Amino acid sequence: MKTTERQTMYDLTSVLEFDALSEVRPGSSILISGPAMSGKERLAYDILADGLDKGDGAVVVTTGDGAGSVVEEFRSLVPDLDGSQLGVIDCRGEGGTDEEAIGNAHAHHVSSPGDLTGIGIGITKALEGLHNAGNEQGRLALVSLSTMLTYTDKKTVFKFCHVLSSRLDSAGYIGVFTIDSGAHDDQTLQVIKQAFDGMIDVRDAEGGGREARVLGLAGEPTDWQDI
Amino acid sequence: MSDSDLPVVLIVEDEPDVAETYKLWLQQEYEVRMAQNGDEGLEQLDADVDVVLLDRMMPGLSGDEVLERIRERNLGCRVAMVTAVEPDFDILEMGFDAYLSKPIRSEQLHETVDNLLDRSEYDSLLQEYYALVEKQATLEATKSSAELAESDQYDELTQRVVEMRDDLSETLGGIEDDSDFIATLRGLSDDEDN
Repeated sequence: MKTTERQTMYDLTSVLEFDALSEVRPGSSILISGPAMSGKERLAYDILADGLDKGDGAVVVTTGDGAGSVVEEFRSLVPDLDGSQLGVIDCRGEGGTDEEAIGNAHAHHVSSPGDLTGIGIGITKALEGLHNAGNEQGRLALVSLSTMLTYTDKKTVFKFCHVLSSRLDSAGYIGVFTIDSGAHDDQTLQVIKQAFDGMIDVRDAEGGGREARVLGLAGEPTDWQDI
Repeated sequence: MSDSDLPVVLIVEDEPDVAETYKLWLQQEYEVRMAQNGDEGLEQLDADVDVVLLDRMMPGLSGDEVLERIRERNLGCRVAMVTAVEPDFDILEMGFDAYLSKPIRSEQLHETVDNLLDRSEYDSLLQEYYALVEKQATLEATKSSAELAESDQYDELTQRVVEMRDDLSETLGGIEDDSDFIATLRGLSDDEDN
């Protein structure tokens, strides 16, 4: 795409030390897959926080945490956070936002994780807000696809991911999407994976702690590595 | 598509001169249907219609009301709103896929209709792509990697998945702007309801 050529690669190695993550092409969409409680969401947020530190915009599509708590989370991850660099699309279908907590971040509410058009409108507004705030690049996190899959079928989620990836590509953003690998059958996981450029697998290590590997972004799948 | 195989455009416009002008511009490339008001428009609307040009200000049912009923029927057609003034509200949120402000030039009308038809083509390619990916995933989930390596069917599928992915991103240029993005997402939700 025209817009992506002049943009610089994304370096995610300060979050995860893998060579395959040192030059992630703008427009890439990455699936973060792992069992429940394996730190997928933490990892996705860390990737966005790292971007905020480097001047990238951040967009969070959340099906679990409210917009207010997401903004607070990022305030603690990025102490000198400028709220105008952050957009949150809260899909829980609950109103009652704490305006004070949100500050000058761009927050949008969507009626349900199955309301794809609503999510799209929220993302559009967040991208526009960030663009107007001077962000040329940015990172988007969607947590989680597993919740979306309980509201709508895998075909629709697959297509949604594909269309969203295409939108991120034209914006020059990268996207990270979390999925609970234990919550879906193999076939569903295989289908969803196909909508992404690459994947970060996380799991609990045998000796405690966590490990990860990277598939599909550059060269062969990496080995498992402690994180 | 209908008998003629040309894409079908439905013009819902209460001013006969204006409607005739649009028809003249479009009839070489499309099968054109005409309706003078919202009720007539809804009568003329069926699964063959690809694009609706909908005048917003009409006596009787307004364009907004007609749009709402079109969406309720889940027909999957694309709707371009025609307005006298540039809309100062969010047409995406209202459920329109595009808007045109009067006076409309021929070139502009063609461009909008073509773009909306491209969206539909993107949808059907995406549908086809999904079917391939699902087949591939089923094989991967049920066969060992040794069996997959031996399978010509799997090999062929994998090839086609790659080709199709390129088609989707290159031939149609992916998602170019916000209204494309929202219109495509709206299409996905419509498919799901069918």
